Amino acid sequence: MSDHLSLAVLNAVVDGELSEDQLAIANQHLAGCPHCTSNALAQSLLKSATARAGRRYTPPPDLRERFALLASQEVSHRQASPSQRALLPAGFSSYGWAAAAALVLICLGLFVVQRGMRRTSAEYAGLVTEVCDQHIATLAENSPPEVISSDRHTVKPWFQGKIPFSFNLPQNLPGDTTLDGANLTYLHNQPTAQLLYSIGRHRVSVFVQQGDGANATRDSWTDHSGFHVTGFRTRDLAVVAVSDVEPARLTDLVGRIEQAQAEAQAQPK
Amino acid sequence: MTLLPWKYAIPKSGPRTSPFEDLALPLLPSLYNVAVWLSRNPADAEDLVQETFLKALRGFGTFEPGTNFKAWIFRILRNTYLTSRSGLAAVRTVSLEEELEPRTDWGPNLFPEAAIDLRTPEVNLMRLSDQAALQAAMEELAPPLLEVILLCDVEEMKYREIATVLEIPIGTVMSRIARARMALRRLLTVSVTPSKSNAGGTGS
Repeated sequence: MSDHLSLAVLNAVVDGELSEDQLAIANQHLAGCPHCTSNALAQSLLKSATARAGRRYTPPPDLRERFALLASQEVSHRQASPSQRALLPAGFSSYGWAAAAALVLICLGLFVVQRGMRRTSAEYAGLVTEVCDQHIATLAENSPPEVISSDRHTVKPWFQGKIPFSFNLPQNLPGDTTLDGANLTYLHNQPTAQLLYSIGRHRVSVFVQQGDGANATRDSWTDHSGFHVTGFRTRDLAVVAVSDVEPARLTDLVGRIEQAQAEAQAQPK
Repeated sequence: MTLLPWKYAIPKSGPRTSPFEDLALPLLPSLYNVAVWLSRNPADAEDLVQETFLKALRGFGTFEPGTNFKAWIFRILRNTYLTSRSGLAAVRTVSLEEELEPRTDWGPNLFPEAAIDLRTPEVNLMRLSDQAALQAAMEELAPPLLEVILLCDVEEMKYREIATVLEIPIGTVMSRIARARMALRRLLTVSVTPSKSNAGGTGS
């Protein structure tokens, strides 16, 4: 072990991250070691200089006003219902309140049921846009996938420890379809496995996310920017595939992936 | 759900801000600054901050009052950045801890940890006073090192907060900070002495 303080300890000293006891020990060493004292001073100077240099960009003058307006619009939109209720006539009877409460409960029930069956169109549209953007970004990149392999037994284990769920990859792929590799990415702030396939010369991105425990469903077709988007949901997974390949071939691949999940669940434990 | 009459009182005229605005708007300069550093483009940064702002606003219900709002919204910024085009490119460029070196071709062992013995503090001070050189050095840092140094030194976050924002263990935060500072020292030294052959001849 070195006689001098490690770089991590020197950094912890200048960052104020040591406990009183640890700091006392470090100070004791620094008092008798010019080498470490010099390094600690250098680190401290670097930290303060970096802090100054790092404060480099200031937002446009109108950005704060624009965001304040944005926030107030969003907040007022949410408060619209209570405000309207406040304007109800004073003679609004208890029957009226009961009817209103019943209506609210019915609406709430419908909303919950609807939400369980399918995502809202706005949410889904946002997802489709994000998925297409990521697929386009992948196509635009010249850099290879983070894991390059056509072997499902290589690609799947690569995600261990990187995502909080697991999934299965189909053993038999449709003709002319190959697994190219995978990336770790994020959709809606959630860690997501991006599986990369090729169907002929067409590239396919299959995004696999953790499910929300909802019932299994099959997403309908959506077209966005010339790409076809489809997917499915199981209790544990949400899968979205995007490609410019003809829809039937993409459906075939998605079907194999869905089948692989079902087969895994059917296997005796 | 309790219907409290005072909740529906007609608001008084005049500017009124929501709790979210009270917390988020003061952080706008910091969010924007970090966003430009990460995306390296003011227009992208503005989009990034706006998307972060909207996501945070819509998800504000999930924020636990009393916890660290700054870490919370910076985490949203960072995750939004990761899904952006520039973020995806950055993630793919450097994915392994071993690859977190600055984007230069200089040798990796200029300053191994056990042998760090830089110039005198006075010389360091002179170099560090050159803000442009330091900013250029920061631009050379790999994104994972740059973001950790921005959060630590510029935003003055504690290691625990940085770990929350970046969703990595504190040990990794410490390791990245050490690497980032070592890389900055190296880059600044190289910027002062462009080549070893020249270094020997500049002494007199």
